[in-house]
Amino acid sequence: MSSKINIVTVVDVIGALSERRLENKFWMMDNSVFESQNQGTHSLCTYCQPGQLINWVIYGLDVQTPVAIKKISFLCGDEDQVETDELKNVEEPGIEINPYLNVWSGFVPSYLIPGTEYRYRLEVQMSKGVNSVMSIDTPSLKVPQNLLKSKDN
Amino acid sequence: MNQQLSIILMIDVKAAINSGSLQEYVYMFDNMKIDGSEGEGSNELVSAVNGSHWMNGIQASEQILNWSLISLGSVPRTVPRFFYTEKSRRSNLKAIDKLNELKAKIEYEGDIFENADAVLAELDHIAKQTGVKTKVQGKRRDLQREFGTSGFEIMDVTGELLNEAGDNMPEISRINPTITEITGEAVDKKIIYPAAYTSPDLFTNGWYWSASVDTSRPGKYAYTMHVKLHKLYFIGDEWIWTPVNLKCEAYLKISTAPRVNGFTGAGVAELPIPIFRTQEQVPGEIS
Repeated sequence: MSSKINIVTVVDVIGALSERRLENKFWMMDNSVFESQNQGTHSLCTYCQPGQLINWVIYGLDVQTPVAIKKISFLCGDEDQVETDELKNVEEPGIEINPYLNVWSGFVPSYLIPGTEYRYRLEVQMSKGVNSVMSIDTPSLKVPQNLLKSKDN
Repeated sequence: MNQQLSIILMIDVKAAINSGSLQEYVYMFDNMKIDGSEGEGSNELVSAVNGSHWMNGIQASEQILNWSLISLGSVPRTVPRFFYTEKSRRSNLKAIDKLNELKAKIEYEGDIFENADAVLAELDHIAKQTGVKTKVQGKRRDLQREFGTSGFEIMDVTGELLNEAGDNMPEISRINPTITEITGEAVDKKIIYPAAYTSPDLFTNGWYWSASVDTSRPGKYAYTMHVKLHKLYFIGDEWIWTPVNLKCEAYLKISTAPRVNGFTGAGVAELPIPIFRTQEQVPGEIS
């Protein structure tokens, strides 16, 4: 079993910026051995195990378009869920962080409850400017309840 | 940054040839203004190249530069490349029609021409409508080749063929300039590794210049672009595009910054997933 999972996102940057939303312009996939659900959609549920390293990577569908992950934040519950196509560009005070310099990876914590979907918000930065940041709340991580069972299925 | 960087040179070909200075009549642009480039639209371009490195110092991203040239005073590069040959073919077909008409006129109403000189004048008129053919001088002075497949005929910037070439001709469309070499400080110090690549895109006439950048040594470096322009001369009994080689200079401003983990701002750690969950998200109800 590979100890590392890559979650690869492909964005149609020109399409997303033109329509000002990420729906149908955003595809996620991973190489988890546990047969994650919803591969190739924007609501990928990555099956993982505590201790595994997860690495997020993003690419533009058109190689000439600039795109980066601005932020990944895990959601607590219902009150943090927002409309997925809501436009946000909150200027954070303080030091300006260049999203192109960030690497998004981390280990799966040991306290995750098996069978629970831990959803996260993926914020994407496409070039710079007022409408350059868009986010999606649908992807998630999940520790399968029965690893062998999920593999058989 | 994962975007390729484009540098565009817009050249006032006529003014550059007449003055013998390209630097004075070039307008440069790039797509990095947002990342700190300076001097867009002027003849002093400083392109920002923002690289990155890993904690151990290894270069983390490959920056690619691409150069394109646009000529002021040419048929736009966006018109299909077969435009030139098509234009020439059409003018030739038109002349053949006119010749047939002339033949018919002489046969059936020959008396409308007073003498042979009048016929010659008419033939001359038809010949002029086929345009003025040109050749391009290559590296060897004695070697002349035709531009394209059937000869590039003199046309104005709107693509209309000109009947006569000479001092009083209007603005003629010029051959698009090309980069022949990139040299200078940035190349000597091994900051950029430029080369000409073939391209399936006819917009660039099948060739373009590109370079990868070593971003590990930040600083401002100059580089020189060698550009080949063409001037039209009447040599012997032909119109010949003669190469005029000129140079212009631009700068690269290279910086590099460390790559950091987005969650921690430093190294890799556990994912920051909240421990407490709402009631309906306990296992059993969702799965």
